[in-house]
Amino acid sequence: MLSSMADQVKELILQFAPFQSSVDEGFWHRLSSLKLNKLGIDDSPIPITGFYAPCSHRQVSNHLTLLAESLPPESSEQSLTPAISRGNRNRCPVPGILYNTNTLEGFQALDKQSLLKAEAKKIWEDILSGEAEKDSSLLLRFLVVSFADLKNWSFHYWFAFPALILDPPATVVDLKPAAQWFSAQEVESVTTACNEWRSMCSSTDVPFFLVSISSNSAVTVRHLAEFEACQRDGNKVLFGFYDPCHLPNNPGWPLRNFLWFIFRRWSLQKVQFFCYRENRGFAYLELSLVGEASISNSQESRDHQNMPNAVGWELNNRGKKAPRCISLAKTMDPTRLAIAAA
Amino acid sequence: MVLTQKIHEAFKGTVERITSPRTVSAFKEKGVLSINEFIVAGDNLVSKCPTWSWESGEPSKRKSYLPQDKQFLITRNVPCLRRAASIEEEYEAAGGEVLLDNEDNDGWLATHGKPKENKHDEDEELPSMETLEISKKNTIQSISSYFGGEEEEEIPDMAEFDEADNLVENDPATLQTTYLVAHEPDDDNILRTRTYDVSITMLLQPELVLEDVSQDHARKTVTIEDHPHLPGKHASVHPCRHGAVMKKIIDVLMSRGVEPEVDKYLFLFLKFMASVIPTIEYDYTMDFDLGSSSS
Repeated sequence: MLSSMADQVKELILQFAPFQSSVDEGFWHRLSSLKLNKLGIDDSPIPITGFYAPCSHRQVSNHLTLLAESLPPESSEQSLTPAISRGNRNRCPVPGILYNTNTLEGFQALDKQSLLKAEAKKIWEDILSGEAEKDSSLLLRFLVVSFADLKNWSFHYWFAFPALILDPPATVVDLKPAAQWFSAQEVESVTTACNEWRSMCSSTDVPFFLVSISSNSAVTVRHLAEFEACQRDGNKVLFGFYDPCHLPNNPGWPLRNFLWFIFRRWSLQKVQFFCYRENRGFAYLELSLVGEASISNSQESRDHQNMPNAVGWELNNRGKKAPRCISLAKTMDPTRLAIAAA
Repeated sequence: MVLTQKIHEAFKGTVERITSPRTVSAFKEKGVLSINEFIVAGDNLVSKCPTWSWESGEPSKRKSYLPQDKQFLITRNVPCLRRAASIEEEYEAAGGEVLLDNEDNDGWLATHGKPKENKHDEDEELPSMETLEISKKNTIQSISSYFGGEEEEEIPDMAEFDEADNLVENDPATLQTTYLVAHEPDDDNILRTRTYDVSITMLLQPELVLEDVSQDHARKTVTIEDHPHLPGKHASVHPCRHGAVMKKIIDVLMSRGVEPEVDKYLFLFLKFMASVIPTIEYDYTMDFDLGSSSS
């Protein structure tokens, strides 16, 4: 009896599918080259840029990806050329930080809890200061710790996607495919409005937004800063985000910090959210989700001036909270390459 | 990876067509594009199939004859739902393929011999999915996690040291991934799904990528080479046959009274690629007309 009640309560908790990382080989190539040619033993944290996009296939989630361009260019003259590798619709930039150590011991000795907390604190401060409203990608900050073993061309690394914890957790009031939640007329106009948003240079890589629906079912997608204007117009407002997750019953990780932001910024206890997903590069409301989350308005959380706790270390491929490792000897080791070429 | 890989194919084909920069269109006669035609066709692909983007690649590898921001086309994170061998069995069972021969006896599959999963019935698109959902609640999530899974196979497990880190995150709002494995599970349904993204490339011996390439092409037109714009090894379609094959496709279209248009070239090209790599779901172009009907 007790356990079934516990199960019931557990089912009500809104559960978020963790972000998944993916590192392009090119990232390690450039990091190695940076280490060898520029950084040397300097192990200061390096600002990096991750890229992600809404889920674009019903069978797989999208990843947060690191590419060669995620790292600063090696030579300073390259930074003078126009930034042509910035975001596009398939590569929304997300700010991150890389702690690359010089030794395996150094890697193991990193205080990972503190590093996660430090990154979460930036997110929290950007929420409080309003920076996150101007640049919503700040809500997605991530960090990577790594050790690049350039003798053996192997790379140990570990991602964290800091998520501020709501305590008590948000609960699910309602969650269903967007195509069922909207009226037929709204489905059409939401689809059109989202495709427009995604096709405009100025908004295509903005991962958090508002879906504003007027009483006559006219739909516009707006920037977060326009929330009050939408409300003044008496429109129904959904909080939308590019959802990398493909699962039918869970929103993806980016909604976590977004909920905190919404709660802090507008003191909403009921939040209608829109997990925006695509098919073949276009808005796909069958796969997208609309839900309503209930955020408990305890005195404690309302007066929260202190930073909430954060979680977010990625599991490795064995499902453990432990680093991943990849060997690139095959494509990077000069000896091996020479043999292969012979 | 496959993405990169595929792009690479598209790219190499393009390069081949471009190496002798053409100003006069030889599209219909030889099945090749001029640089401007390539840009037009690429722009069209990106606008009609927005999972594709132009990219600039490594600055040191840029080709001066292409615009800086349009060096090559890429689409990422494309699922590969099964191995090519199983598709071929299906083709044979369905008798649906059209094998076109050229003089060299390099048979290739015509574009309309699509794998069954590409037909319109959404439910059939993913034969393994249903089983996955039934077999374990959160398995679907593991598919993508699993892709990266092979990377650690030969690497010593470093998990020993993290015990002291005390990184236990008992968070009820985190969806638990219950099915994370470092090797391909015995469950055939899961075995079939790969997604080609970067992290798998390294792990997979590049040669294993050939498992996802039609066996007719695996050792002939498809080889493992350096990517012209990106670091690392990628499967590549040998460029020298593209023109001939594309010419054949164009001829077939024209014989049906369809006038091929240059800006649709890459759509045709993807059809060709879809026959080489039938398992990867990147060809989103089938809904588009490939040319204007002359009638």
